[in-house]
Amino acid sequence: MGKWMNKTINPSVVPESEDHILIEDLARLAEGTADAAERQQLIGHLNRCRRCYQILQETLKDVSAETTLQPGSVPWWKTRMFYVLAASIVLVILIGGPLAIKHWTQRSPVILASLDLDQALKDILLEDDALKWEKKERVNRLVAALQQRGLEIKDLNLVLLSKPYYQKKSLFGPKEVLQIRIENKVAYLEVKEMDN
Amino acid sequence: MDPEKILSSIDLLAKIETVCKRRFSAENDQNECYVFVIDSLKADNFKRLRAFKGKSSLNTYLYALINSLVIDFRRKQYGRRRIPAGVAKLGKWAETVYRFVCWQKFTFDDAYDFLKIDGLYTGSYVQFIKEIEPIKKVPCRENPAFQSIDETRESALKNIDDEGPNPLEFLIQKLDRKKRIKAIKVIREMTAALPQNDQLLVRLVYGSDQSVSAAAKVIGLPASTAGKRLKNLLTKYREKLLAEGIREP
Repeated sequence: MGKWMNKTINPSVVPESEDHILIEDLARLAEGTADAAERQQLIGHLNRCRRCYQILQETLKDVSAETTLQPGSVPWWKTRMFYVLAASIVLVILIGGPLAIKHWTQRSPVILASLDLDQALKDILLEDDALKWEKKERVNRLVAALQQRGLEIKDLNLVLLSKPYYQKKSLFGPKEVLQIRIENKVAYLEVKEMDN
Repeated sequence: MDPEKILSSIDLLAKIETVCKRRFSAENDQNECYVFVIDSLKADNFKRLRAFKGKSSLNTYLYALINSLVIDFRRKQYGRRRIPAGVAKLGKWAETVYRFVCWQKFTFDDAYDFLKIDGLYTGSYVQFIKEIEPIKKVPCRENPAFQSIDETRESALKNIDDEGPNPLEFLIQKLDRKKRIKAIKVIREMTAALPQNDQLLVRLVYGSDQSVSAAAKVIGLPASTAGKRLKNLLTKYREKLLAEGIREP
């Protein structure tokens, strides 16, 4: 409310001797339900009487403020429920989002192992010269052998051998180890000779 | 209608609390206002509530009733102030300055402008500054509990910088002192000369910042018609101001 206009044009007199407008009539004026003739009379008084004018204009403000606050009078996107719902969704995304992303993007853990190349393992390696093992039986035998040696794997889809394995002729040859790297159900095998 | 039931309803108590909080900034006043309104509603076997005849909605009636009681409370609380003798002896202009500055918390500059508008002071601004020195020395209860008895003042101060959609206020603010005083006189005279309905329309919309639709309801017009009427009235104000040599800087 501007101070200048408020001071300039609002009624500044409170007629002491004059009867003020009845409260219910002021309420009817605020609601716009007074009839024409009566309204004219009341308006004439309002233009002169600061008290009645004050009650009217404060009542208009209060009713207007209350109407604005009523849930039915505001658009759905301005309701508290909408904001509560939106906040809930944001919270779910904030809390669950990283977990979901982790779940969907997390690669299966990489297993690294280095095993003494014993006869059982040698037998599996010597079965044929293939570097890419596609026979399910052979793969399953390797899985079982690895499980027996303590590796926590359930199954393998593929086994890739770095180079063909051949039995060493020397009984005193260097010690051999099987280096294994398992990732995404694919096992990468390499036989390495270790110094004694 | 059971007045006791109405008075004990959460809805009415919330209304009283809201209105008291809106009208008073000090918590103590808010609480006393709340008690005063409830006591007044109970008085004489709920006479004020029983006076409701059902011609308006109860909701609007209750707000109007609470507002009238809040005005009574303000007067009871602060009564009619007396101008200190040291100010009164300086004349009516000094009393007005004291009222504006001490009671209503306007600035001395504002007070000077209002004096000029009302023709209560004929001297220059420099002279005014000299002559208000004794007024400045008079004690004024400028403390947190101090309240103006002018019911419109408190809410006016809160929105003093709010230009809003009020072209007349905006214009007045932009003018220099001399032109402002002239413009206010023109607007006041023009408003007083308008038909009663138009007067109230302008007062509600430009004097009290009511919405056009709320003001239109009061004077019994559709909002669109009231909007057009206001537009025409603004044109008339502008023409008159231009004729007096006042234009937007």
